[in-house]
Amino acid sequence: MRRFLLLLLLASLVLVTAPSEALAPYTTWALGPGGKLYLTQDAYIPVAEIDLPLAGPEDMVWGPDGFLYIADTGNHRVLKLDAAFQMVATLGHEVLQAPTGLFVDEQGTLYIADAGKNAVVILDGEGRLLAELGRPSEPLFGRSQEFLPRKITVDVRKNLYIVSEGSVNGLVLMNTDGRFIGYFGANTAQMSLKMILQRLFLTEEQLAQFIKNVAPSPSNVGLDHRGLVYTVTAGTTAERSIRKFNIAGRNLFGPIHGSTTFRDLHISADGLLVAVDANGKIYEYDLNGTLLFVFGAPDRGEQRLGTLRNPTAIVRVGDTLYVLDKDKNALLLYRSTDFARKVHEGVRLYMEGLYQEARPHFEEVLTYNGLFIMAYQGIADACYQEGDYGCALAMYRYAEDRRGYSEAFWELRNVVLQRYLGSGLMVMLGLGAFAGVFGRVERRYGWLNPWRARLRRWRRLRLVDDFLFLFRFIRYPADSFYYIKKDLRGSLTFAFLLYAWVVTARVLSLYLTAFIFSPYANPAQIRVEREITYVVLALFLWNAANYLVSTISDGEGRVRDVVIGSAYSLFPYALFAVPIALFSNVLTLNEIFLYTFSTQLMLFWVGLMLFIMVKEVHNYSLSETIRNIMITLFTMAIFLLTGYILYVLFDQLYEFIRAIVQEVGLRG
Amino acid sequence: MAERRLGRWAVVFLLLVLWGAWPGRVMADDAPPLPPGYQAVAENERFRLYVDPTTLAFKLLDRRSGYLWHSGVDELEKGDRLNRAWHAFARSGLSIEYLDAKAVSKRVAIANSEHSLEVTPIPQGVAAQVTFLEYGITVGLRLQLEEEGVRVEVPFATIREENPAYRLGLVNLYPFLGATRGGQTPGYMVLPDGTGSLIHFADNTKAKTIFYGRYYGPDLGMIASVPFDPEVNRPYPLSFPVFGVVHGEGQNAFMAVIEKGAAYGELVVHPAGILTNFNFIHNAFIYNESYFQATNRAGAGVTIVQSRPNAFDVVVHYRFLTGPEADYVGLARSYQRYLVAKGILRPQSASTPHIGIRLEFLGGDKEKVLLWHRFIPMTTVRQMAAILADLEVNNPEVVYYGWQPLGASSMPPTRLALEEALGDLEALREVVAAVTAAGGHFALYLDPQAALAGEKGYSPRNDLALAITNRELRSYNRNHVHFLFTATALERRFRSLAADVADRLGAGLALDGIGWTLYGDFRKSRPLNREETIAAYQALLAASPTPLAFYRPNDYLWGLARAYYDMPLGDSGYVYTTETVPFLPIVLAGYLPYYGPALNFSPDLTGDILRQVDFGIYPSYFLTHEPTARMLTTRSHWIYTSSSAQWSESVRQTYRRMNALLGPVRGWPIVARQRLAAGVFATTYANGRQIVVNYTDQPFSYAGMVVPARDAVLQEVAP
Repeated sequence: MRRFLLLLLLASLVLVTAPSEALAPYTTWALGPGGKLYLTQDAYIPVAEIDLPLAGPEDMVWGPDGFLYIADTGNHRVLKLDAAFQMVATLGHEVLQAPTGLFVDEQGTLYIADAGKNAVVILDGEGRLLAELGRPSEPLFGRSQEFLPRKITVDVRKNLYIVSEGSVNGLVLMNTDGRFIGYFGANTAQMSLKMILQRLFLTEEQLAQFIKNVAPSPSNVGLDHRGLVYTVTAGTTAERSIRKFNIAGRNLFGPIHGSTTFRDLHISADGLLVAVDANGKIYEYDLNGTLLFVFGAPDRGEQRLGTLRNPTAIVRVGDTLYVLDKDKNALLLYRSTDFARKVHEGVRLYMEGLYQEARPHFEEVLTYNGLFIMAYQGIADACYQEGDYGCALAMYRYAEDRRGYSEAFWELRNVVLQRYLGSGLMVMLGLGAFAGVFGRVERRYGWLNPWRARLRRWRRLRLVDDFLFLFRFIRYPADSFYYIKKDLRGSLTFAFLLYAWVVTARVLSLYLTAFIFSPYANPAQIRVEREITYVVLALFLWNAANYLVSTISDGEGRVRDVVIGSAYSLFPYALFAVPIALFSNVLTLNEIFLYTFSTQLMLFWVGLMLFIMVKEVHNYSLSETIRNIMITLFTMAIFLLTGYILYVLFDQLYEFIRAIVQEVGLRG
Repeated sequence: MAERRLGRWAVVFLLLVLWGAWPGRVMADDAPPLPPGYQAVAENERFRLYVDPTTLAFKLLDRRSGYLWHSGVDELEKGDRLNRAWHAFARSGLSIEYLDAKAVSKRVAIANSEHSLEVTPIPQGVAAQVTFLEYGITVGLRLQLEEEGVRVEVPFATIREENPAYRLGLVNLYPFLGATRGGQTPGYMVLPDGTGSLIHFADNTKAKTIFYGRYYGPDLGMIASVPFDPEVNRPYPLSFPVFGVVHGEGQNAFMAVIEKGAAYGELVVHPAGILTNFNFIHNAFIYNESYFQATNRAGAGVTIVQSRPNAFDVVVHYRFLTGPEADYVGLARSYQRYLVAKGILRPQSASTPHIGIRLEFLGGDKEKVLLWHRFIPMTTVRQMAAILADLEVNNPEVVYYGWQPLGASSMPPTRLALEEALGDLEALREVVAAVTAAGGHFALYLDPQAALAGEKGYSPRNDLALAITNRELRSYNRNHVHFLFTATALERRFRSLAADVADRLGAGLALDGIGWTLYGDFRKSRPLNREETIAAYQALLAASPTPLAFYRPNDYLWGLARAYYDMPLGDSGYVYTTETVPFLPIVLAGYLPYYGPALNFSPDLTGDILRQVDFGIYPSYFLTHEPTARMLTTRSHWIYTSSSAQWSESVRQTYRRMNALLGPVRGWPIVARQRLAAGVFATTYANGRQIVVNYTDQPFSYAGMVVPARDAVLQEVAP
């Protein structure tokens, strides 16, 4: 291994005599606040494009012997190059048809996935055929299952992990005798709303014309130095495009910032994962799946150094990134910059659990780029480990790590609770006792009577009465709706005030909810106008649809009744949304139950109130009420659909007229 | 048909007879062996010019060295990969590309088309009129010997398109001048890409296609928009209309400098191995282009040719060098002499021994809150004053960006108005005075062409330039998508603001965009082509009441610039270029101070500082008082690292280090640059001092001293 690294070092010295003098064709992006990508200093700069005598190569690997092996697919061979990229040997040209996947083990044995033969070919270091493994004959493999090996990797126990094209069950696991061991790490099929609707409404024949919704098969596979298996999958969602499996085949990665067209990945010994996609973008992650850098530019014929046309393989060794391009028949070299080396060193230590040692590196990274989220995460973990929870809290907030923030907050809250819980309870008891005594004495002497009188005078104001009416709904919901219907209490003015209150409460609760529970990591991300539009639209549609549906189904309610009734039905939200948001600020993830339960309770209450409202205002039976509400919801959906269709039609019309006018102007 | 051909030959014969009888004709005494047909037409102390009146090809004898330059390939050798059409192209002094009714373009040369050619002698040369009979296209050419070489002119008045079915696409001028076969001749071609790059002659190239590069970048008037794509770095536009060819370093070289017509000029570079085995490089001039007129949003449409040709005169000077001057440094110096003679470059008065440093401050930007915008101050005027006082640098070039009301993402006003949250004009005047007292300059940032999309402050109906497709031009800069102003609107806005800045602030302006963006405007009311636009800009900016600095200015603004900002640190990285050279820095050194891009964004600070020292580039930084994270929700988040708390120390160190190296050569031209070893370069200045830069990881011993690894050393006397 040491000799190998030495060779690589020599190779890079030969190639990299002067520093990069050219403008990189791409900009480099790193994960910043809000899960968004922000510009950063370049992590890798292109240094060379080496043309090689290849024809559509599909894979490459740096062997442990320090030689570079390339699966030269179109020339039916494997090319062996030395560290200066001079050809040393060609292997397997008499046995191979279309080698697309390649792996070289410590002994120098070559494992080749051949797409022409649909077999795995095993060669020794001199190119002599050791074995050729075809489709496994075990019944467990599946009777109609095809064996189309495309990529391959081999672990230290000589288990072959084979990417078989179109295999829904995941990787094919075999041993060197060709015995099938099992499937490994299958993807799951994704069901979209569109598919669900298709399934609901289409006939069997129509459905049969669609491509079956099956799990996509992995596109490539890699191993890390601990023997864990990673796959990339093209054609799945970006969040699930890279997966890291434990021995049991369970995915260890959460949602990642990935790509839907990944081609290859490589995991280097220093704890970094690089992957390249079909658009020539290169992604670098740590081994927790946190994105560090993304960069790269497609070649649009400008022929600039560092652009990729059809990348098929990527390898990172030391400070150099090697990317194989199938259309260029060339190897592209990128070298990491000073900045990236600092990040890499921090990440390496961090991955080894040496948080304190990694901290100075991350702090240096932050002086270069204060938006580098990964660095905040590293420092936060170091602070937490040290017991400096205040620092950890601030840093987790920057890193947008809710779990870490919650834990740091728990520790801090614990300190506060321990210090003040006793005295706090005493104060509360004291206040309680005082209130009891004061109440008794006050009743006797009537100190507050002038205030009571004033309140009664206030009640004569219509709006105040409307407001106090609100609290009646808590105890007598059904009766209260009756009052509305008979015009005894409640007013349209107050109803609209209530709606405004609901909208305000919605917006306020978004801003006031604690970081841990808020869907927004930063209040600045809240799109207020959008939130307001949604709420107002929903309220309007509900009122309109409910009134219209009720008039044709013997409902007694007038527009006024529906509008006022709906407004009063929303009172639990108006009253409790903001307090719940405030309450969330003293909770940690351990007590998430309290937060979600109270929120759900509030929403359920609103639902219940609406139900009673419909029933009472329109004077329905139970079954009529349910039917009415279902039809109302359906009508709301139809309204939206109609609006959308009208928009599309008018857009088309406008486009059509515009095109005619333009064309007449040009040709006429 | 036959008669016409006969007639043509008669004309040629007559002219040849006349030629021989012309009394001013130079007698060939020391004539080199020339193919038949070449006539000596002019001579001066350095050169003798021979012209073939049937193809307009010329040969130039450099009398100092006896070296003969060929404008084309007369005879093919074994192994030459030129078919008949290519050979005709290579032999002819001029060839055209015409566009037919379907807007398909085809190339014809004098030597492979039916044509009539009238050649008349003029002082020190010939004038010619070529008509491509089949297409009814006429082009006139004047070829004259001058002191430094050859002057070629194509006056627009001579261009005629008489057959409506054919339009003149472009004119190729002397495509094979100085062409070489593969790697037979040692040497290289010099391209004006970035700071300059070389393509060494070789038998093979990595290039897959010919390089076509419009000088000053593509014409937005034809392409309408540059799609917003922050994920790529666009290649540098060719910012000066010059190319060079060196036959043997230190032996012979020439360069082409376009005096007129560069706005419609295109550089064509063919390294040996793409289509032919020749290295050739030349200028083409574009008279008509086809364009795609979409007729609906779905993208359907028609391809048509522009209705009127681009009106411009062409004047190209070919300057020939010999002896030790014949390398890229000599070419750059020759170009420098040309610019000095034209009064474009003026010597710098080196009043202080210290270099400058560009410090750009972001005032602030706006953020959307609820339904309105909130201004986020990043550096107030007082904070800027405090930072400057704290940095203690000499000659600071201070640029204030995002100073206008609501900051960087809103339209700059036409009257000077500072965002209130940043401070008042009085405070800003104090800063200006302090900066001036420290030997520096203060400027407000302005992109005078940009009409920010979605912003108020201009009339979208009247103020915007239109493309040939009648759509607004669109581009982007500093993370803002913008439309582009008509020259009229630009003039009105600039005059008003510049006068105000001069009167009420006494500061300068730092102009972005206008230096490197050039577009034709097809607005019906006042159409303006690229050449006319250049003239309009020059007239406007020359009358500016306040001093101007430019970001990456094209050559036509150098004469109006006080400083050059954002000097590239290299080229665009085309795979077939073989070396990056500081051609542009050498041209400007000693005349126009140039500053690099902000070093905050450098991924390799040491390496980039070394490169700046090597090229004589002064440092730049982007600073804010507040931490960068405060402006994440604004469009200015592309400035991802800028807080002065983070960067002040780096600014001080960089300035100290670079001032020690570059201060002693401030204001002096570069006279030589050598590669001492791989990754080690020595640059010599006119005052005899030399800077040796070692980019490698090993110390380098040279002339009795050691240059440490990744470091640079100043020598008082060049060895």
